Amino acid sequence: MNPVDRYLQYETRRQFFSRGAMGLGVAALSSMLPKDLLGRSSKTQEMGLPGLPHFAPKAKRAIYLFMSGAPSQLDMFDYKPTMGEWFDKELPDSIRNGQRLTTMTSGQSRFPVAPSIYKFEKVDNGHDGAWISELLPYHKTIAGEIAILKSVFTEAINHDPAITYFCTGDQLPGKASLGSWLSYGLGSENENLPSFVVLNSTWTGRKEAQALYNRLWSSGFLPSQHQGVLMRTGKDPVLFLRNPAGVDAKMRREMLDSLNRLNQGTYDALGDPETQTRIAQYEMAFRMQSSVPDLVDIQGESESTLEMYGPDVKKPGTLAYNCLLARRLAERGVRFTQIFHRGWDQHGNLPVDLPNNCRDLDQPAAALIKDLKQRGMLEDTLVVWGGEFGRTIYCQGKLTKETYGRDHHPRCFTMWMAGAGIKPGIVYGDTDEFGYNVTENPVHIHELNATILHQLGIDAERFRYQHQGLDQRLIGVEPAKPVHDIML
Amino acid sequence: MSARNLFLPICFILICTGIKTGFAAPQSTNTTVDFSRDIRPILSNTCFKCHGPDANTREADFRLDTREDVLGGNHSVVPGDSAASVLFQRLISNDPDELMPPPESGRSLAPEEIELIRKWIDQGAEWGNHWSLVPPKTVEVPARTNPWSRNEIDDFVFNRLATSMLKPSAEADRHTLARRLSLDLTGLPPSDEELNAFLDDLKPGAYERYVDRLLASPRYGEHMARFWLDVVRYGDTHGLHLDNYREHWPYRDWIIRAFNENKPFDQFATEQLAGDLLPNPTRDQLVATGFNRSHVTTAEGGSIKEEVRVRNVVDRTSTFGTVFLGMTLGCAQCHDHKFDPISQKDFYSLYAYFNSLDGDPMDGNVKDHPPSIMVGTPEQHQQLESYEKEIGDLKKSIDELVTNWNYVEPDDPPAVNPEPAEEIWIDDNLPTSGIVHGAWKTTPADGPVHRGTVSYVHTASGNQQYFVQNTERPWQVNDQDELFAHVFLDPQNPPREIMLQWNDGNWDHRAIWGENLIEWGAKNTPARLFMGPLPKLGQWVRLSVPAAEVGLLPGSRINGVALTQYDGTVHWDTVGKISHLPPFPANRSLVDWQEETISKKGKDLPNDLKAVVNKAQESWTPAESKRLKDYFIQRIYPDSRSVIEPKEAQIKALEKQRDELKKQIPTTLIFKETATPKDAFILTRGAYDQPGEKVERSVPRAFPPISSDTKIKHDRLALANWLFTNQHPLTARVTVNRFWQQVFGTGIVETSEDLGAQGTFPTHPDLLDFLAVDFRDHGWNIKRLMKQMVMSATYRQQSVTTPDSFEKDPKNELLARGRRYRLDAEVIRDQALAVSGLLIESIGGPSVKPPQPDGLWFVVGYSGSNTVRFKKDVGADKVHRRSLYTFWKRTAPAPQMNILDAPSRETCTVRRERTNTPLQALMLMNDPQFIEAARFLAQRTIDRELADDEARLRWMFYQCLKRSPNLSEIEALLPTHRKWNERFHKEIENAKQLIQIGEQPSPESYDPAELAAWTMTANLILNMDEFISKN
Repeated sequence: MNPVDRYLQYETRRQFFSRGAMGLGVAALSSMLPKDLLGRSSKTQEMGLPGLPHFAPKAKRAIYLFMSGAPSQLDMFDYKPTMGEWFDKELPDSIRNGQRLTTMTSGQSRFPVAPSIYKFEKVDNGHDGAWISELLPYHKTIAGEIAILKSVFTEAINHDPAITYFCTGDQLPGKASLGSWLSYGLGSENENLPSFVVLNSTWTGRKEAQALYNRLWSSGFLPSQHQGVLMRTGKDPVLFLRNPAGVDAKMRREMLDSLNRLNQGTYDALGDPETQTRIAQYEMAFRMQSSVPDLVDIQGESESTLEMYGPDVKKPGTLAYNCLLARRLAERGVRFTQIFHRGWDQHGNLPVDLPNNCRDLDQPAAALIKDLKQRGMLEDTLVVWGGEFGRTIYCQGKLTKETYGRDHHPRCFTMWMAGAGIKPGIVYGDTDEFGYNVTENPVHIHELNATILHQLGIDAERFRYQHQGLDQRLIGVEPAKPVHDIML
Repeated sequence: MSARNLFLPICFILICTGIKTGFAAPQSTNTTVDFSRDIRPILSNTCFKCHGPDANTREADFRLDTREDVLGGNHSVVPGDSAASVLFQRLISNDPDELMPPPESGRSLAPEEIELIRKWIDQGAEWGNHWSLVPPKTVEVPARTNPWSRNEIDDFVFNRLATSMLKPSAEADRHTLARRLSLDLTGLPPSDEELNAFLDDLKPGAYERYVDRLLASPRYGEHMARFWLDVVRYGDTHGLHLDNYREHWPYRDWIIRAFNENKPFDQFATEQLAGDLLPNPTRDQLVATGFNRSHVTTAEGGSIKEEVRVRNVVDRTSTFGTVFLGMTLGCAQCHDHKFDPISQKDFYSLYAYFNSLDGDPMDGNVKDHPPSIMVGTPEQHQQLESYEKEIGDLKKSIDELVTNWNYVEPDDPPAVNPEPAEEIWIDDNLPTSGIVHGAWKTTPADGPVHRGTVSYVHTASGNQQYFVQNTERPWQVNDQDELFAHVFLDPQNPPREIMLQWNDGNWDHRAIWGENLIEWGAKNTPARLFMGPLPKLGQWVRLSVPAAEVGLLPGSRINGVALTQYDGTVHWDTVGKISHLPPFPANRSLVDWQEETISKKGKDLPNDLKAVVNKAQESWTPAESKRLKDYFIQRIYPDSRSVIEPKEAQIKALEKQRDELKKQIPTTLIFKETATPKDAFILTRGAYDQPGEKVERSVPRAFPPISSDTKIKHDRLALANWLFTNQHPLTARVTVNRFWQQVFGTGIVETSEDLGAQGTFPTHPDLLDFLAVDFRDHGWNIKRLMKQMVMSATYRQQSVTTPDSFEKDPKNELLARGRRYRLDAEVIRDQALAVSGLLIESIGGPSVKPPQPDGLWFVVGYSGSNTVRFKKDVGADKVHRRSLYTFWKRTAPAPQMNILDAPSRETCTVRRERTNTPLQALMLMNDPQFIEAARFLAQRTIDRELADDEARLRWMFYQCLKRSPNLSEIEALLPTHRKWNERFHKEIENAKQLIQIGEQPSPESYDPAELAAWTMTANLILNMDEFISKN
């Protein structure tokens, strides 16, 4: 922590202390004290760091749709029209260029090209048009709102390190996740909800799905109140939210009133500011007991809104439901919502599994963009879509006209971003004829993360946290610039 | 506003209000600047990135981390003259091109920091190495000038307080001390007996006697182990990808035992780092090496083995650095360290010690990822040994028998078989050995039978198969043998096809009758041989197949037969083989057998013998001929076989028993060194596939060398021994600092993971050195150190914060008052279980799964993982144990731990966060485990048969906090309790619901309303700030 933060923290504690010592009552304390004083009195910071944002942010909040397993860019966005002629022909060595492969296909004797069997259409996006496949009909309707990045790349080649890399900026466990960085740096805009929420979705693609890990939303070395709060379906959207059976809100309120009296007594006797913070946190817990159920209650949504997200929207846990929830979280000022959707790991049988997962995704994601737009929220809400790497043009396993599979491909893949100062309706970067190598405007994942931070008003290079004697950064030790070309 | 501009007003405030940002840097104008404490951190933080140890990023070939470069006469620093010192002038330059650090670096110095540098130069620019690299020396204990001090710790603390015009606080009352000591030394509140024994002991020395009792408690080892488990990143799963179960708890139990036995720290560390390299290591010492195996591992499909291996070794190396050197070595993996004198070469030289694990880096998703050992009870190991001995003896006796067999080659070929020999598997009985597949049904009493008393009847729809396989007495196929079976096809419901099939290692020997509907084997080959139309219906027909026609040549051994039909009802009976010629003659003659074997190119022989028979017989050496002969005697020759076979059966039975026993014995991961060390290289930018210069094992050059003795073997044992030499600057400091952190909440060096250039400066450097040297000189005795700390007056202070003491020392770095902080996750849960009487105090064993909310594993888990579904354990002996036994799934740790800041244990953690969040409040109020604890506390309270509710309330309160409530506390609790009691009596259903929560039901004798009301009151007390804090 730098001296300024440290000073502010102590200064706040000091003021806090003197107010407490003057004998303010508990109720008065929780209502009269300015929020920042409550927040900063210990590691419960609701406000962000001093000095942040570094500059005027375009985005007040972000929603990240993470497709775990790695969606096939070649069947969704990266149109390769000449590949039809290459069916079952060997991928030229000049293209593969000795790049390393996973050990799942490195033993294959052949690397035959598997053209996408899906029809692509060039959709008007207000600029040069965007090719989108028939698997994503609703995405065609938002082509004018999103920026498609065809040239993203990573170094990781297996799921666990790759997804950890994406979510925490490092392939190995132990670092802080993107959402935790945002919570730490920018704080929360809603005192009744966490600033970083994680939503896991059900899926209909390949059943045997890659794992997720708590570390993907962990705070790592950052104070742990910045870890993502996993919102669950069912009666306890937040862990332990509900009172025990037989105990109603009134009784809990009475319990808290007594508890606050006791804790205030402890504080009066011992003078530990943490005790005051604890009183405030119990009060917030109580408020969450009503704010969270209100959040997940979608009954007040209009029919037309629900229709927009599609038939799955009423099934808790679906991507449709989670996209709607993400909008509701955004409305309530939650800084960062990350939705995970699994089942994108199409090593084989792609034509069966991929369409199912695309169906899960397509309408809800498009609806989220439109819904944010119609509410005027797209201007200051950043939406990001993508997975941990891409998939190969060559076939893994059996190749026929009807079926094929694709292995992991970290060297180029497609993501999209929208809202909050991102140029709408553009396609950025390009790949070679085979979709194997980036030919134009490569975007490394550190640059992508730098871009996300930039839109939220943060200079990624200056955004650090000292841990184990090092300046830890989301973007790692090497410089990484945001992609200014895609910004308005 | 840029971060840089922000500094000015803030610093202005700092100076005006005189508030200190910490105690590392003295602000008074009169003090002497200390290079190590005041200047080095500034240079390190601000300048080393471009002018430090890392040659690759060094700018202008100028460095600020060595005396030669700074004071070497190039005017960068002119001692005594800041005006002539270029370094200083560049700091205050108005020219942006000159100014350091350059504005675009985003770094800048505060005016007070610049002032410190000016003062340092003007005071003569004393230079020194970073404090932590200078070995601790015996420090003179400050003279005792006060009656407050009880031991040396207090002398140092008092001395430091005096310079800041602070006074220590009074000693806490005995109730507070009793709870504090018990929580710090055992992780549990004192039991009634322990508490009373202390409170009733009014003789001098009562405190010490209490401390001694706590240190002797087995709970002590559990509590101490819990901290070490974070350090060694212990988990019950592998941690990556599938995150499957890893059986490693015997190592956890070893740690508990080591602390309870008070194993000296040097031994404790050495056994974990290098137990396998000790002379004749005991099983326990091997278990200890689990330390270097506790890192996360993967078996993800597609992973590149060498990449995974390098990651594993890097983790071991970095963990070693953090735990024993208090240095963050990780960054030197890719480049020279920017701040500490650790080069990339140093890193890989250290890495070389951990490089040579004799095992696959990929864990294979198995629980006992090798190398691992079994850790059973003495009886189990004894039994195992006795099995091995018996098996060994039998094998030896077979060897002897073979060697001594007096074999005589027969003169004549054996006599012609007098009559055809029939071998039958299926008749009235099915084979008793091997597999019998399918529900074989015998024909009803009035049904057709071919021979004996029963046949088998199968009715099928489509393709249906019944078979026997792997019988212990296979048929040896001889020349011109014939295979047969008998069928009776039901005329009312005939099949469309029938098939016979035999197994000699594979099933590709089929004979079919009828339509060609069963799609197995290539048509018109021995794998699907068409024999003709279906036989006549309604009568017994013998199906006969020459063995050779279905590819079963002389010498083949048939171990199974399958009866298959497509549709219809078929009666089957008398399945067997008939030989018309005498048995394969080779078995009686070594010469014939050898010929036969040569002609088959040694098909069934082990590889070494196969090589022998595949070369010219003339070139066989006598030894090779003997080995072939021995093989013949042992495996083939009927006369010797008849003696050997029973022995083999005995061996097989014993092996089966042994394997059964093995399954019951737990395993644990250990370290085992390869016979020769693997080469280590500097990996360019840390990439596994870019090895550079080869490096030898060596400790970082900034440290004293490991030993100049060339005879010494450079292995992990040498490395471990090196840690405990007197010249070592860090091991003792790092270790006492960590124990200090455990007892006082914060280390003397706050950044207990980093005592290097970027770490914080010690609040009490002399005390740290005193304790380090003292610890070392007293045989690394951990219990002694723990006792030393808790016996001090410093430890015994009240934790009352006054406005004055807060103003002067908000973080309580100087210890003018007792440290007060929230308890750790495990202690909070264990304490609730203890005061409710639920806690099961048994030590060790497999990890347990107390209940947690549904779906936490499933929502993240890989569908094929064996930990994808959480299944809670049943029974108090599992769900109510201390939290250090809770199953630790590293990709989704138990929320009761996680929410209260326990780390995931994916990496080494020596210092936990301590946060204060609403999620914690929700959990402590609503988690069924805590509600259950409240209910049992309520039961215990009601059981007391006290006079009235106030007495009951007082008793409950005392149980939790080990002190009596004051009047205002009674006022805060009692009316609320009465209100709830009344309400639950009215709403009895609510009461019943509440008291049903938890794993262990309450006896029905309790009044539900009363129990519910007390449960809520207990829930209230268990949520008090005082209850979850150390006071």
